[in-house]
Amino acid sequence: MACTSTRLSPEWPLDPRRPPEPGASPEALAAENDRLRRICAALIERVEAGGVPHGGPYGAFEHSVLLAEQVRERTETLQRTLAALERSRAEAEAANLSKTKFLAAVSHDLLQPLNAARLFASALEGQALPASSRRLVGSIGRSLKDVESLIGSLVDISRLDAGVLRPDVASFPAEELLGVLAEEYRQLAASRGLELRYVPTRAVIASDLALLARVVRNFLSNAIRYTQSGRVLLGCRRRSEGLEILVGDTGPGIAPAQQRLIFEEFRRLGTAEEGDNRGLGLGLAIVERIGGMLGHPLGLVSRPGHGALFSVTVPYGERAAPGAAVRDEAPEPLAGARVWVIDNDADIRDGMAALLGGWGCRVACAASPEALSGPAPAALLVDYHLGERRPDGLAVARGLRERHPGLPVVVITANHDAALKAHIREAGFECLLKPLKPLRLRLLLGALLEAQRPRRSAR
Amino acid sequence: MRPDTPPPPAAAPLCRAVSRHADPEAAVAELGEALDHPALGGVLFFCSADYPLEGLSRALRHTFGELPVVGCTTAGEISPSGYERGCIVAIGFAREDFAVATALVADLDRFDLLAAQRLVDDLLERCRPGAPAGAERFALTLLDGLSSREEQVLATLEAALGRIPGFGGSAGDDNRLTRTHVYAEGRFHSQAAVVVMVATALPFEVFTTHHLRPLDHKLVVTRADSATRRVLELNALPAAEEYARLVGVPVAALDAEAFALHPLAVRIADAHYVRSVQRVNPDGSLSFYCAVETGIVLTAMHPAPMLEQLEAVLAGLAGRLGDPALVIGCDCFLRRLELESRGELAAASRLLARGRVIGFNTYGEQHHGMHLNQTFTGVAIGSAPPA
Repeated sequence: MACTSTRLSPEWPLDPRRPPEPGASPEALAAENDRLRRICAALIERVEAGGVPHGGPYGAFEHSVLLAEQVRERTETLQRTLAALERSRAEAEAANLSKTKFLAAVSHDLLQPLNAARLFASALEGQALPASSRRLVGSIGRSLKDVESLIGSLVDISRLDAGVLRPDVASFPAEELLGVLAEEYRQLAASRGLELRYVPTRAVIASDLALLARVVRNFLSNAIRYTQSGRVLLGCRRRSEGLEILVGDTGPGIAPAQQRLIFEEFRRLGTAEEGDNRGLGLGLAIVERIGGMLGHPLGLVSRPGHGALFSVTVPYGERAAPGAAVRDEAPEPLAGARVWVIDNDADIRDGMAALLGGWGCRVACAASPEALSGPAPAALLVDYHLGERRPDGLAVARGLRERHPGLPVVVITANHDAALKAHIREAGFECLLKPLKPLRLRLLLGALLEAQRPRRSAR
Repeated sequence: MRPDTPPPPAAAPLCRAVSRHADPEAAVAELGEALDHPALGGVLFFCSADYPLEGLSRALRHTFGELPVVGCTTAGEISPSGYERGCIVAIGFAREDFAVATALVADLDRFDLLAAQRLVDDLLERCRPGAPAGAERFALTLLDGLSSREEQVLATLEAALGRIPGFGGSAGDDNRLTRTHVYAEGRFHSQAAVVVMVATALPFEVFTTHHLRPLDHKLVVTRADSATRRVLELNALPAAEEYARLVGVPVAALDAEAFALHPLAVRIADAHYVRSVQRVNPDGSLSFYCAVETGIVLTAMHPAPMLEQLEAVLAGLAGRLGDPALVIGCDCFLRRLELESRGELAAASRLLARGRVIGFNTYGEQHHGMHLNQTFTGVAIGSAPPA
C-alpha cells in the first residue's frame, strides 16, 4: 500500500482557517491544486447524482434519513397543532360555559324584576286613568313584555348552543301535536281575519314533542304575523325519509336572497304590522338550532308576492301496539292530558300554552268558554277576572262543571283576598294565586290528574 | 449457573436467561429451563459466533419445538449482568402480554417493495389473533451484518411497515468479519434477515442514541466502490493514508480501536450519522460497515463521555415508561471497544444491568429504516400498562 505522501502539504486542504503558505514550492501548489480539482469533481458528481431516488445503497440510506426526518417534523407539527387545537377548544368551552352561566344568571336576576314591573304596569292599567295615560301604560306593558321575551329567546339560544337542552325523543301520533296547534292558532288567525286550514294526518312520528311544538308554533306565528289577508295552511306530506310538516301562507313571500338570512339571529323582514308582537328576529334562529339538534331538516319555498311554505321533516316513529295509548305509557300524569285554559289575556294564554305544552299537555286556550268544545278535558284552568261586563271565572267554571261533571278546575286569581279564596274552595275548585309559580301549578295539576286517572283511561 | 439476577417474578411478561455453557445442548437446556413458562409465546436469542451453529440449531429445535424462535450471532452479548462474550442470552415473551410473529427474508437481493408488503401483511395477520386489547406494535429486524444489503432492505421494509416503528441490529462474528448469521425457522442463515413483529399493550419506546460530536475536519470521498462499500480516496489521497493522518498514527497502526475512537460521520440537515470504518484493505482503501459513495462528505467526530450519556438515556426511558421490564439493546461493537480501551466496560455493564438491558454487540444498528453505526439502539418495554 502507498504510504508516502509527505511531499504534499500536511495541512487539511479543506480547512478554511488554514494560513497561506508563503514558501510553498510551485510543485506543491500544483499538487494541491490538483487535489482540490478532484475533490471538486467528486462533489459535483455527487450533487448531480443526488436527485435520483433510491440511487444505490447510499441513496437508500439518505432517502430513509430524509423520510425519518420528515416523519419526525410532521409528527412534531401535528402534535403542536393538536396541542394548539386542544388549548383553543378548552378556551372556547370555558368561554361558552361562562356565557351560559351569565345568561342563566341574567335570566333569573332580570326576569324577576321584569315580572314585577309588568305586574305593576297591569295594576296601573286597572286603575281609572285618563285615556292618554292609559295608552302610555299599555305601551310600557308591551315594551316590558318584549324585553322579557327577548331575554327568554337569548337564554334559549344560549342553552341550545351550549348543549344544555337535551332532546327527549319518543314516538307519538303527529295529530296529537298538530291538532292542538291548529285548534289554538285557528282563533288567532280568525282574530286577524285569516283562515287557518288544517289537514289532519294519521302518521306516527319520532321527535321531542315540546321542541317540535316550538318549531311549528314559530312557523304558525310567523305565517299569521306576516300575512295581511288570505289563508294559512297547516298540513303534512308523507315522504320516504319522514313526515314533512308544512306551514304555508299567502303573505308577501321572501326574496331568494333573503331566504338564507332569515334563519340568522336578529333578522327580520319589514312587513309585520306596527304594534304587533315585536321580537328581535330570534324565532327562526331558534328553529334552526332545534332542527339541527333533532336532526330534522328544515325547508323553505317562497316567491315574493306568492306566499311562503316553511317545513320541517320528522322521521316516522313506531306505532304503539293496538290498545296501548302511546301517551298513557308515560309515567308523568300530565303527558297527553287535555287541558283547557280560559283567560282574556292573550299573553297569559300564550304563556300557559307554552308552559303546559312543555309538560306534554295537549292545551286548548280561549278567551271565553264558548270557544271551547269537544270531549271533556282532563282539567280546566280559568282566570278569575275575565274582563268587565263578563261572567267571572267562578261562574264560568260552575257552568263547565255542569256540562262535565267531576271536571277538575283550578281558578287563578291575582286577588289575594282570603274571602275569595274560601269562596272558590267552597265551590269545590282549587285556587292558585298570581304570580303563578309553575312548579306549584305542575304539582297541583299532577295531583288532580292522578286522582282522575281511572276515569281518563276508560275514556 | 443462575439463569437471572435477580430472578423474575413468576408471572413476569418477559423472562431473561443466559447460559455460559460452551456446549450447545447444555446451553440450550439451561435456557429452556429458565424460560419454562406455561404461556411462553416466543423466544429471541443472541449467541456468540463461537457456538457450533448446527448443534445449536438442533438443540433449539428440540427444546422449543414449534414456538417461534429467532436470533443471531453477535460480536459480544449483553446479559442480565452486562457485557459478556462466548455465551447465549435469550428473552421469553409471555403470551398474556405479547403477540409475536416472525418471518425470514431468505433472499435479500430480491426483497422488493411487493415482497416487503406481503411480508408485513402476513406478519400483521399472524400477530393479530393473540394480541392483547389496546396493543401497539413494533418491528425488530436482525440482518446479516456482512451482506452489504442493509440500506436497501431497510428502506424497502420501512416503506411497508408504515407507522409501525422499527429497529434492529446487524449480526456479528466477534470481529472476525468472515460470516454472520441470523436464525429463524429452525436454522441459521447467511445473506438473510429476520423480521419480528411484536404486539403488546405494555408501553414501549423505540430509541437510538450516540455520544459522538462533530469536529471541524471534513473528508470528501473522492473515489469509492459503492458495491463493496470501499472508499479508495479521501480528499484525493489514498483513503487509509488520509484517515491515518487524521487519527495521527501510521497507517499500519489503524485498528478497530482507532476506528472506534476516531469515527467519521455524514451530516444530513442538522444531524450527524456515523459511518464506521470496518478495516484497512491492502490496496490502501477503507472498507465501511455501511453504504458509501463518491462525493459524500465525511466529518471527523470525537467521542463525548459515553457512560454519562448512557445513564441519561436509560434514566429518560425509565422516566417516561416507568421501570422497564426489559430493554432490548443493539449496541455497536465499536462502542464496546471504546469502553474496553478506556477501562470503562465494568461501569457500563453495571448501568446496562441496572437498566435491565438484554442484547448484543452489532455490526450496525437500524432505526426507522435508517442503517446506523456506533449507536445504542433498541426498544424499552415498561413493566405495567399506563394508568
